Amino acid sequence: MSGSINNFIILFCVIPLAAGLLSVPLVGRSFPSRVIGTLSFASTFLLAVYLLIQGYADNTIYVSYMGSWTAPFGISVVFDNLSGLLLATASAVALGSYIHSYSTNASHIERGYFHPLIQLLMFGVNLSFLTGDIFNLFVSFEIMLMASYALLTIGASKKQMSQAYKYVMLNLLASTIFVIAAGMAYGMLGTLNMADMALIVKTKLASGEGLPVGFTALAVMFLLVFALKGAFFPLWFWLPDTYYTCPISIAGLFGGMLTKVGVYAVVRTFPLIFTQSVADIASVDVNPTRTTILWIIAVAAAFTMFLGVLGAVSQHEVRRILSIHVISQVGYMVFGLAIMTGWALAGCIFYMIQHMVVKCSLFLCCGIMEKHAGSDDLDKLGGLLKRDTLLGVLFFVAAMSLVGLPPLSGFFGKMVIIQEGWNNGLWWLSIIGLATGALTLLSMLKIWSYGYWNPEPKKYPQAAKPENVKSSSRSGYIGIAMLVVLALFLGFGANPVYKFADRAGEQLVSPDAYIMAVLPKERIKLVNPELAAKLYDGIGHDRMSEPLDEEPMIISASYNKEVHP
Amino acid sequence: MTSLILKTAMRLIVPLTLLFAVYMALKGHNEPGGGFIGGLIASVSIALYRMTYGAESFDKLLPIHPRILVFVGLTMAFLVAVFPLLFDRPLLTSYEQYLNLGFGQTVHFVSAAIFDIGVLLVVIGVSVGMIDRLSREVEK
Repeated sequence: MSGSINNFIILFCVIPLAAGLLSVPLVGRSFPSRVIGTLSFASTFLLAVYLLIQGYADNTIYVSYMGSWTAPFGISVVFDNLSGLLLATASAVALGSYIHSYSTNASHIERGYFHPLIQLLMFGVNLSFLTGDIFNLFVSFEIMLMASYALLTIGASKKQMSQAYKYVMLNLLASTIFVIAAGMAYGMLGTLNMADMALIVKTKLASGEGLPVGFTALAVMFLLVFALKGAFFPLWFWLPDTYYTCPISIAGLFGGMLTKVGVYAVVRTFPLIFTQSVADIASVDVNPTRTTILWIIAVAAAFTMFLGVLGAVSQHEVRRILSIHVISQVGYMVFGLAIMTGWALAGCIFYMIQHMVVKCSLFLCCGIMEKHAGSDDLDKLGGLLKRDTLLGVLFFVAAMSLVGLPPLSGFFGKMVIIQEGWNNGLWWLSIIGLATGALTLLSMLKIWSYGYWNPEPKKYPQAAKPENVKSSSRSGYIGIAMLVVLALFLGFGANPVYKFADRAGEQLVSPDAYIMAVLPKERIKLVNPELAAKLYDGIGHDRMSEPLDEEPMIISASYNKEVHP
Repeated sequence: MTSLILKTAMRLIVPLTLLFAVYMALKGHNEPGGGFIGGLIASVSIALYRMTYGAESFDKLLPIHPRILVFVGLTMAFLVAVFPLLFDRPLLTSYEQYLNLGFGQTVHFVSAAIFDIGVLLVVIGVSVGMIDRLSREVEK
């Protein structure tokens, strides 16, 4: 049964690509492109939810080998719980901000290939969540970045251009380092398939041979690349200005999603490969790379959380507060990574999901606030609660979810991460996390009191009539409301979501299931016969009784069997 | 540019380069080459033609907007990639067939070749389109 599902996981990439292609000839006609785009995001969302539930029930990881070339040679595409959760959330966030964009996009933006570009962006994002291959991860990052360059400069105002220039340059630098690092990884391990890398690292650790020289340096290079995309300290300086200038629905999508792709890359590759746990290997006490990297990540987490929120408190424009907040929130995810136990990773994944939803809805609220006041400067805002009660309610729920008020979603993410940090000797990070939470509340209350609570400023009369704004941004409210409802679900339905997240965390810290799902049996037998015997022992005698292949079909360039008889 | 030597040479160079592009694109399945390289070579020859004879003769040579080439190429590549999904095979799976040409000759045909031709069209469309657009700005 799962055999028939396996090949269809690539639909997460095929659907946005098809929708993007279809909307190219429709440029300038908004209605058909909007229908196509909405259908595309809605269908990937439903598909992700369906596969997630199905995969959880069967406890399977879906794998498809592109072009029928099996791992570790071809590109494999893997759908596990982590991918599923992120794919579902990313599609939901894209859908919300896409619906919001009906009411906020100027017509010149729609003519500037907005619809195809946003589909291609989602194609890249979905591919990076699915791929099981480091080089393919690079490719999907590039697809995503190409689309994001174009979306950032859409409309081509002078301010946008100068900000986009910085963004493009930094990302070019990061991509170059990524390719170099991938080349080094291939030189050290002889493969770029993530499962195969995990298997070889595991074998090298267990056999006592130890990791190759420079493995920690390699891990740091990858960390640098992903940290730049994910805006960790000290590589976050590009972020606030970038999200400040582009159209609001794009800013919402980017603020919600793009940094999380960088975090995702760390969550996927580090527990699996670079900082693999040696808990189930009796002969080895410690993975030296793991110790070093976790320290680096812990320090980065402290600075990211705290400096991010300090930056946000000091700002006086809504968009800037929100975008600098992204950094501080990323800090919590990095905190979860620094602990790197299964449950902490579950917290990290949950936090990523809720943050994508909540942050995007806050940005979208900011779009309608700007429509009321003509600006996002807190001095010029005011009286919005009276002018637009619905917006006030939506904003309040989203803001309190971000802060983490108990029944709402942010609370459950922070609670797990902080508690797990406390139990694992990172108490100082937990304290910083709590302080950051308090300051987050402060900065959200700042927007709330200036924008909604205060009376309308007399110095800057708000030109737009409330009725006009409301009637012209109906789809805006629908988009925000969808995301806020999802955020409420994540809060009140945290239990079922955590079940998926917990399974995802387990799959990450003990990668045996991942390795077994992706790699063919012959490959595991060739590299690590003991592990193969252990993995296939419980499955049934028919698979075990098959004779070992006389001449193994799958040979790696660098992994020499004679060295490890 | 109005050099007579260049114009005369172009009559020979353009068809030869286009032929070479096709050759590169087709041999790319098992050897160095492929749709991307072929597309680049072809667009070099088209760009040279445009430089020599000017924008009007270029419009005659390529009466459609290069954007359409991109669209057609992407669609071809996309359809070939998706086709195996209908038969429950992974994306991009290639089908191969030995076509009999008669006279004892066969051709090894693979469906990946159509994908490669799609890539070729995309590369021609993008590079020719960009060169054309930029030179129109300069010529203004």
